[in-house]
Amino acid sequence: MLDAANAWVQGFLSSVGAAVFVPIIMIIMGIIVRMKVKDAISAGILLGVAFTGMSMLISYMSGIIQPVGQAMLTRLGIDLPIIDGGWTTMAAIAWSWPYAILMFPLLIVINIIMLMLNKTETFNADLWNVWGKIFTAIGVVAVTGSVPLAFVIAAIQIVFELKTADLFKDEIYELTGIPGVTCTHKMVFLSAIFYPIDKLLRKIPALDKQADAAALKEKVGIFAENHVLGFIIGCLFGVMGGYDVPAILTLGIQAAMCLTLFPVISKYFMESLSPISEAVSDYMHKKFADKQLVVGLDWPFLGGSNEIWLAVIYSIPITVLFSFLLPGNGLLPFAGIVNIALAVPAYLVTRGNLPRMIILCTLGVPIFLYVGTAFAPFVTTLANSTGAVANLGTSMISNSCIDGPVFTYAFAEFLDVIHGNFFPMIILVIWLAGYFFMYRDLKKEATAKKLADAANEAADIATE
Amino acid sequence: MPVKVVVACGSGVATSQTVASKVNRMLKADKINAEVEAVDLKSVDRHLKGAAAYITIVRDKREYPLPVIDGIAFLTGVGQKEQYAKLLDAIKNFKG
Repeated sequence: MLDAANAWVQGFLSSVGAAVFVPIIMIIMGIIVRMKVKDAISAGILLGVAFTGMSMLISYMSGIIQPVGQAMLTRLGIDLPIIDGGWTTMAAIAWSWPYAILMFPLLIVINIIMLMLNKTETFNADLWNVWGKIFTAIGVVAVTGSVPLAFVIAAIQIVFELKTADLFKDEIYELTGIPGVTCTHKMVFLSAIFYPIDKLLRKIPALDKQADAAALKEKVGIFAENHVLGFIIGCLFGVMGGYDVPAILTLGIQAAMCLTLFPVISKYFMESLSPISEAVSDYMHKKFADKQLVVGLDWPFLGGSNEIWLAVIYSIPITVLFSFLLPGNGLLPFAGIVNIALAVPAYLVTRGNLPRMIILCTLGVPIFLYVGTAFAPFVTTLANSTGAVANLGTSMISNSCIDGPVFTYAFAEFLDVIHGNFFPMIILVIWLAGYFFMYRDLKKEATAKKLADAANEAADIATE
Repeated sequence: MPVKVVVACGSGVATSQTVASKVNRMLKADKINAEVEAVDLKSVDRHLKGAAAYITIVRDKREYPLPVIDGIAFLTGVGQKEQYAKLLDAIKNFKG
């Protein structure tokens, strides 16, 4: 029965592609959560628009990046055949997985159970980043071929996200001044690797400096604007590929167009998903009305920090440089170059200490390039099979800013032990060791702080 | 022409669009001729020209030449009514 249904789904999907299939599911979902039929259909069509727009843009990007990559190979011997589609491409590919939509109920059920058992204080309201769970799950399917197993691993990720959000909530309040929120994004997972390193860096007093981040950002901020950045990278590639001046400038503008349009089109995904995400949010608030919930959000509310932007801007040239120098890297950095997933965990573990953030980001860049390279085959296969990307040709596609790269690699791939590959399992153990070290340390700190606060209060009362 | 309101987040995709979609639905339900646009935080200054209000989801120390609304309220639901009222005032008092 299940097999027959599965075969039908696969058959239908291969005949229409994600741009038709996923919207149909979304319309049904929308009606289930009591959207008006006309609104549900409107949202569904918009979702199809998002898929098709992304597919068009990714083919266009491949069309300009592939030749210049080829030119760089013949001229300089730099062989980087994997196109970097950035996180927007990954999100489009993740949503095109036939079972993607089931991740919504899984997330909600786990969150409700954990709240009821008092295992978390966080309500994850960030339903957009459900795609991060889907992405890990797709990786598991690529390794094991098992969909149920994929959802088990995704469930583990959901639990880790809630626990990590709990762990950082006080610090996030201290850093942002915004009460009642925390960050449930998977990108925070990289802190498990950064934290032990930062513990060592804290012993170096010379790094304990506060830079005037605001003034610095004022000066370099323009380079992070998508169109400016795209133009610079396009021109750089053109120069390296030995293009003549008109061709360099043309490539610069074409690249600028890509980086400008990626977020614009990606926005339609969010817009079409927002009615469902709102319905869930309202339901959760009603259900836990008597409970003080910490609301888990996507990372951007941390974006008021100039340190994050400076670390991001710093990481751009470093990523390009490393991509040329690192042996074994196959990824030519492009659409994923504004790497927030690198800067945010560095910001959280150092509490905004810019010199240490810069060191952590430098150490982190190779991780992103290697994980991006490792994921290219399955991402490419999925992109082709669901039709999420049209006309990719023979080139491979991946992402240079996969959120929580160590976690994602380890949890998506560790089951490869069944094929005798122990490497991802070792990475998994390393990540877990780092995570538990950080968890224990931060918990200890929190308890000590609470005791100190209580003692201070007692002292205040005594002197009064 | 609807009155322009700007909301920004890190990439102008997810968080800002969530807020924009929600507020747009509220405005539509109240029959107010205004449109919330989601933009990239890195380019926000360019988009603020001609806007009636700026819905922000970050707390920075900058001063803005237009009414600033707390966007977190629309994500968490806490204080949403007050922030929405503030937004309506800003739209009403906007001279263009």
